[in-house]
Amino acid sequence: MTISAERPTQVDDHSPVSPVAVKERRGFGSGWQGQHIGTAIIAGFLGYIFGHWLGNYIGSSYAYIANSGQNSIADLLALVFMVVGWYLGIGALNYPLAKMVGREATHEVEYTGFSKYFRYNLDHKVVGLQYVVGVLLFLFTGGLLAMAIRAELLNPTTHLFSADTYIKIVSEHGTIMMMMATSVVVGPLGNYFIPLMIGARRMAFPRIEAFSFWTFLIGYVVIFSALPYGGFPTGWTGYAPLQTQAGPGMVSYLFGFAVIGVGMMTAGFNLAITVINYRAPGMTWSRVPVFVWGILSTAALLTLATPVLFSAGLFGLLDKTAQTAFFVTEHGGSSFLWQNLFWFFGHPEVYIMALPGFGIVGEIIPVFTRKPLFAYRIAAAGMIGVALLSFFVWQHHLFQSGIDPDMRPLFMLTTELISIPTGFIFLVGMGTLYRAKIRFEVPMLFCMAVYFNFLIGGVTGVFLSDVPVNVTVHGGFFVLSHFHYTIMGGLIFAFFGGLYFWLPKMTGKVMNKKLGLWHFWTMFVFFNLTFFPMFIIGLLGQPRRVFTYAKNLQTLNDFSSISAFLLGLSFLIFVANLMWSQFISPVKSPANPWDSLGLEWQTASPVPRHNFDRIPVIMTDPYHYSEEGAPALADFGGGSRADVSSATFPGNDPA
Amino acid sequence: MPEELINETQTVSDTPEEQEFELRAHIGSIWSGGRLFIAMYTFLDASLIFSYFYLRSSNNGQLWRPNHVTAPTSYGWAIYSLVLLAALMAFYGQSRLRKGSVLDWQIASWVGVFAGVFALLLQIWEFTAVPFAPGSSGYSSTFIGYSCMNIMTLVIVTYWIETSLARSYRLPKEIGGTNPIMSMNPSAQSFRANVASMTYFFGFIALLSTLLFAMFYLL
Repeated sequence: MTISAERPTQVDDHSPVSPVAVKERRGFGSGWQGQHIGTAIIAGFLGYIFGHWLGNYIGSSYAYIANSGQNSIADLLALVFMVVGWYLGIGALNYPLAKMVGREATHEVEYTGFSKYFRYNLDHKVVGLQYVVGVLLFLFTGGLLAMAIRAELLNPTTHLFSADTYIKIVSEHGTIMMMMATSVVVGPLGNYFIPLMIGARRMAFPRIEAFSFWTFLIGYVVIFSALPYGGFPTGWTGYAPLQTQAGPGMVSYLFGFAVIGVGMMTAGFNLAITVINYRAPGMTWSRVPVFVWGILSTAALLTLATPVLFSAGLFGLLDKTAQTAFFVTEHGGSSFLWQNLFWFFGHPEVYIMALPGFGIVGEIIPVFTRKPLFAYRIAAAGMIGVALLSFFVWQHHLFQSGIDPDMRPLFMLTTELISIPTGFIFLVGMGTLYRAKIRFEVPMLFCMAVYFNFLIGGVTGVFLSDVPVNVTVHGGFFVLSHFHYTIMGGLIFAFFGGLYFWLPKMTGKVMNKKLGLWHFWTMFVFFNLTFFPMFIIGLLGQPRRVFTYAKNLQTLNDFSSISAFLLGLSFLIFVANLMWSQFISPVKSPANPWDSLGLEWQTASPVPRHNFDRIPVIMTDPYHYSEEGAPALADFGGGSRADVSSATFPGNDPA
Repeated sequence: MPEELINETQTVSDTPEEQEFELRAHIGSIWSGGRLFIAMYTFLDASLIFSYFYLRSSNNGQLWRPNHVTAPTSYGWAIYSLVLLAALMAFYGQSRLRKGSVLDWQIASWVGVFAGVFALLLQIWEFTAVPFAPGSSGYSSTFIGYSCMNIMTLVIVTYWIETSLARSYRLPKEIGGTNPIMSMNPSAQSFRANVASMTYFFGFIALLSTLLFAMFYLL
């Protein structure tokens, strides 16, 4: 049997499969009788009920549960069985169970049409689009909570919420946004474009890829379940001892992070292995697109740092349910242990969010400047450097607590060191922009905004790494503004830039430019008007997570709040654009609307099921813009677009 | 209107070079996936080891380990021995498989499965025999954490051997021929790469178990 005979349009996890197996398995029916999001919801709901009953049954024999009236075991088991039910319902466990009787890489029924987006689909392009919807769900939920926060801060004395409710809204906002941000680029754009960019016809582990998405989605439900459970008061960092004292919402937080952590690990694992093994012939490491470098370094962080978060979540859950004392100082544990474990994941997580954004920007700006990417190797080295150093900086989050004062200079130094490779990446962008004739299309505007915003976020970050400044502004709005500038100003702007850039390839329809410009300018202006005043508010002493503040800060807070509402409005413009351009009045996109040399644009549109008719042989890197006599990008072997040459490619004219 | 199903027999015809490339990438994915999984597991267990030594050195309220209380060493020895046995069987089976003896590998793997299941049951049963409350000290907390993580490890390794074993019985029916597991058939190559990765992971688990056993039962 040949490999080709084993690659039906049904995706197989591993190529080798026999025709016998094809005949044997048809899943659990077809059409709407098969497995889909509806069956997943039903099975998840039944699992929740069963888990709750089981938890109550187990908990009824413990006096401490009867006395406290809070049964964390029931809360946890309900969520655990909900997740298991979800996996069963969507079909994620079909293959692992089939393996137990020796079946390998069998073929599930695969659907075309709209219903495929509601199923456990093994096509990386479908998973990428599923992720787009998933991250937007996170983003808009977190955004609504942000509106609630800014509404409360309109007045220091008249309150919309109680102090308790306010901190729970802040906590939910922070957690949802941070969970979303870890996957916002890796999920949609990474899954969709990495195989296309490296010339692969598939992911290394498509089932693991699909698993990561459906885990991400149920993670959202788990973390959102904290609100009906009464929320959690710890902020997104979940610090003990408040964690230990908190109510059942804390169980949702801890378990939610563990679930999302599994999704992150599996997503990173699959992407890393795909890039390592499935690069097309000729796609040497020096020809890998810079976006792929960004995703690869992020995948390394996802697979190595996230297990620590998973452990921390497990220990927290054991404290809540089995009455261990990992984070209970009075019983031999330590609340600082949580801080160490959390930030050992938490600080690499910052770069999990930053690196894909750098990758997007590095990919887009050569297209709109028609210049080769300046110092490509330095950009790649910078990303690897950032990824490596990110493991050695976590203790700067403990400058104020739980750290030997003699250790502070060391971690101050490592934190400042990380600004060097970050600076490399920044300078690569500046070098590419230098003396360029820039086409100010919507994606390019978002990329320019990334540099502007990240400069402010990065420079304030260097200040914050300094112990005296850190001690002074710790826990205030200055820090809050800094990380919103890096995460939202960097990552989210890059995400939207990437979305505007690649959506024509993903959906075959162009986004409306006028609405795109409105979206960009309102988002850029009101983002800065929202968060820049917070630096001043922070320096004037307003602490985070407190629902009241000094009267003299009201003007600045009101200004920030009104800007935030308008910033929220800018997202609605994006939604309107998305609806208009993709569904109401779609306009067919040209095959390569930006005249990009990227490999992903050279395959047919819409992208065929197996991406390339022939596996391309790569000749050079995709950045030879405006170069006379540049070599052909790849040999497509008579496939979709043969022998694309940068010298002859439309729009590759320096004039 | 019924859903449109893609024709299951529809294929893309590949050149021999493409077939070779896909197979190499597939085998490489199993190889590097196994190594990356070890790296992930290292960080997972490193957080437990860090917690152990952090709480031990902090010794808050002199409650790291009052009266040097220890989990039942008989259980510890038994579980550790079973894990070592499973790992040794994996290495022995792998060496026999390389020499073409599929039956020897299957027997060794069955021993590994039973050792894994027995170790798993003992690890769960040990909860009923620990002479301390979970939250009575830093040691007791980390021990419960270790037990939970060890249960997870034992489930993973036992599942891995069991699925490999099940595959070894079904594979000959699918691809036919004499001793098909040792053939150059892609499915057979995939199977052998999977077994090699599993054996490597077992080696790692054996080392890890030695370290954790020493920490929780001997120190």
